[in-house]
Amino acid sequence: MTQNEMNQKTSGPVKQHMGLRASRMLSNSAIYVLLIAISIIWLIPFVCIVLQSFRVESTWQVGYVIPQQWGLDNYRNLFNTDFPRWYVNTFISALATAVLQTIIVLCMSYTLSRFRFKMRKPLMRFMLILGMFPGMLTMIILYRVLKDLGLTQQNSVPGLILVYVASSGMGYYVSKGFFDTIPKSLDEAARVDGATRFQVLKKIILPLSKPIVIYTILTAFMAPWGDFVFARYIAFGSSAGSNVAVGLYNWLNKDQIAKYYTTFCAGGVMVAIPVTVLFMCLQKYYVEGVTGGAVKG
Amino acid sequence: MKKFLAVLLSAIMVLSMAVTANASSLAGTYDITVWVAAEIVDLTKQQIDNYNKTNEHGIVFNATVEAVSEADAGTNMVTDVEAGGDLYCFAQDQFARLVQAGALAKLGVNAGKTVAEANAAGVVAAATSGDTLYAYPMTADNGYFMYYDKSVVAEDHIDSMEAIIADCEAAQKYFAFEMNTSAWYNASFFFATGCTSNWTTDDEGKFVSVRDTFNSPEGLIAVKGMKKLVDSPFHLSSSAADSFASNAAVLVTGMWAYSDIEKILGDNMGVTDLPSFEVDGTSYHLGSFNGCKLMGVKPQVDPVRAAALHQLAQYLTGEQCQMERFAERAWGPSNLNAQASDAVQANPGLVALNTQSPYSVPQGQIHGSWWDIAKVISDDVKAATDEAGLQAALDNYYNKIDALFALDTSALLFVGAWNGWNNADAEPTYYFQGASLTLDVPESDYMGGRIVNPGDWGTDKGFAQVVVGKELVKDLGADNPDNNIVFVEPGNYTITLTGSDITIVKN
Repeated sequence: MTQNEMNQKTSGPVKQHMGLRASRMLSNSAIYVLLIAISIIWLIPFVCIVLQSFRVESTWQVGYVIPQQWGLDNYRNLFNTDFPRWYVNTFISALATAVLQTIIVLCMSYTLSRFRFKMRKPLMRFMLILGMFPGMLTMIILYRVLKDLGLTQQNSVPGLILVYVASSGMGYYVSKGFFDTIPKSLDEAARVDGATRFQVLKKIILPLSKPIVIYTILTAFMAPWGDFVFARYIAFGSSAGSNVAVGLYNWLNKDQIAKYYTTFCAGGVMVAIPVTVLFMCLQKYYVEGVTGGAVKG
Repeated sequence: MKKFLAVLLSAIMVLSMAVTANASSLAGTYDITVWVAAEIVDLTKQQIDNYNKTNEHGIVFNATVEAVSEADAGTNMVTDVEAGGDLYCFAQDQFARLVQAGALAKLGVNAGKTVAEANAAGVVAAATSGDTLYAYPMTADNGYFMYYDKSVVAEDHIDSMEAIIADCEAAQKYFAFEMNTSAWYNASFFFATGCTSNWTTDDEGKFVSVRDTFNSPEGLIAVKGMKKLVDSPFHLSSSAADSFASNAAVLVTGMWAYSDIEKILGDNMGVTDLPSFEVDGTSYHLGSFNGCKLMGVKPQVDPVRAAALHQLAQYLTGEQCQMERFAERAWGPSNLNAQASDAVQANPGLVALNTQSPYSVPQGQIHGSWWDIAKVISDDVKAATDEAGLQAALDNYYNKIDALFALDTSALLFVGAWNGWNNADAEPTYYFQGASLTLDVPESDYMGGRIVNPGDWGTDKGFAQVVVGKELVKDLGADNPDNNIVFVEPGNYTITLTGSDITIVKN
């Protein structure tokens, strides 16, 4: 035992106090190191993509991350391709889906939360079971139907909106849960004052459930924004009908990648921008929204 | 249903070709979709415009040209033939699948003749199933050769694989050659030693037989050579141009990477044919696949439209358009006149491809599963520690091919003049028992018969060759569509089937 340790041993209470602080600091710093390590691992791909999108000395994959020459050529290059078209396609379908789906989901949740009708429970159960089937199962038949309606290939945008919106009524769970937490007496008071059902929804319920509305909009916007499988099927070989995911994917072909790798990265960054902005602005509500419905079932 | 539709459509089309021989009746405007590789979209639009202006038939095409990779076109077409491009380009490995799916319209007799005469023989074979031409050859450059960094590999080392590996190891740089990721590349070693894998398809694109000699003494030499490469710590399984940007000094790939590699390596770029490897004192020059890109016409409901599309396909794959593609994108032409032109002869990449071509094997029809079965050979080779291990790799390969394509020979019949071709149900009926049978051939005018499948009595074309006992049968030459076997004299014979080979012994 060294002199130092002896000293510590004798100074009992001080040692205990220091030990607590030290151990807390130790565990905190361990946690921070871990968190930092995890965030670095998580961030690396994003940082790489952003950096690569500014690399102008070559267009193929290289063994280093920091560009030797910086520039905006890749972003300019995007406009010489079909990328703007894909971007517009994606944006239109995401926006339309966000609007329509939000309206449907809110109406659905309101109905199931406030109305009492005969088939309410069976309907909810039926939708629960229906929701258990993976959506991909319906892909072939949906393709057939859309094709017969003339909504595939270059007309894929309305077709895709139809697909995204069609099943949205089934996503009512979170917002119905949230509506259930709003006291029914508020509705009743308004009804007594002569408000219609729609006025109740519009003037009482919706202002109280901002977070959930925003959450619904966000999720409705995100799904079409990143969709690949359905979008690829329905665009079927037509560049004019592709969304960003499908269009960008074509640049990863063996005969394309050396020419388009950095442009692909620039495209990736462009895709991330609106979603990032949207999240940053609405982040506050988003967290409230996700957890809001969980307070009372 | 699909097949029926395909047969119906092609029947309509063939008939229509006969009826619409009068070209002026093709006049009109057609809305069509054309699928080509991204890099030739603009060029193809231009070429179609030129066609609209110059053709004598009064045909005007209002074409939507879409960028669809040749590697994907097959998959896309098979997914939904109706919605696919009216004209589309594809790499030849998808050919059999497309014929089977009814996604390719047959060429008319005259068009077929013109195309077959104008293009290289190997390429024409790649567009043929059974006796029928189904597609128009566009390029003949889908083969591979070697690119190298002159600053790493010495000029006098480029003919020896061992010397190249040594140079790469000394410079700590990679020798990139796809092995366990692609059978298209690793078959190179087998072709070097003379191994073959030949598959035969019938008129409908169905695979009927395979002759494969990878599992042989020559195959063992091939895997010994392969082991030298895959055991090097500086071997990289890649064929992408950007390998040069990530520390590779040698890359085996094709023409499509030429301009990219030129940009990366600049003056240090060297191109040449593949090197040789040495096993037991003998040197073997690495072989290669030699493939092509084809343009297909989708079967059409309207016969006039079909005929017009065939006219366009013929134009787009003709000498002039092939030369334009060569000039703009360095696509190696399949047209014989274009191949002979000075400009093509002067392209270093195509010269390397030409130098490699005596060692290359035309890529015929190959069963889709073969690629997956053959590519893992190199994993087994790398894992092997001795000669027995290498042999086990080949056995493993052989067993998989056999399982895929086991012909149930015991169920086959041998019918002929001696039993009234089985029509009269005359005894005896000869069944193959355990791939062999013994029969009495009585004296008659035509002492011949053939191997048939029970039930439909169609000739089983899988058994094409009498390998042993040739002297016992008459040589019927090429004009033998039913693969008849005609005995020279009566007697008691034993016939044995091994793979697709027929052995005949007189008892």
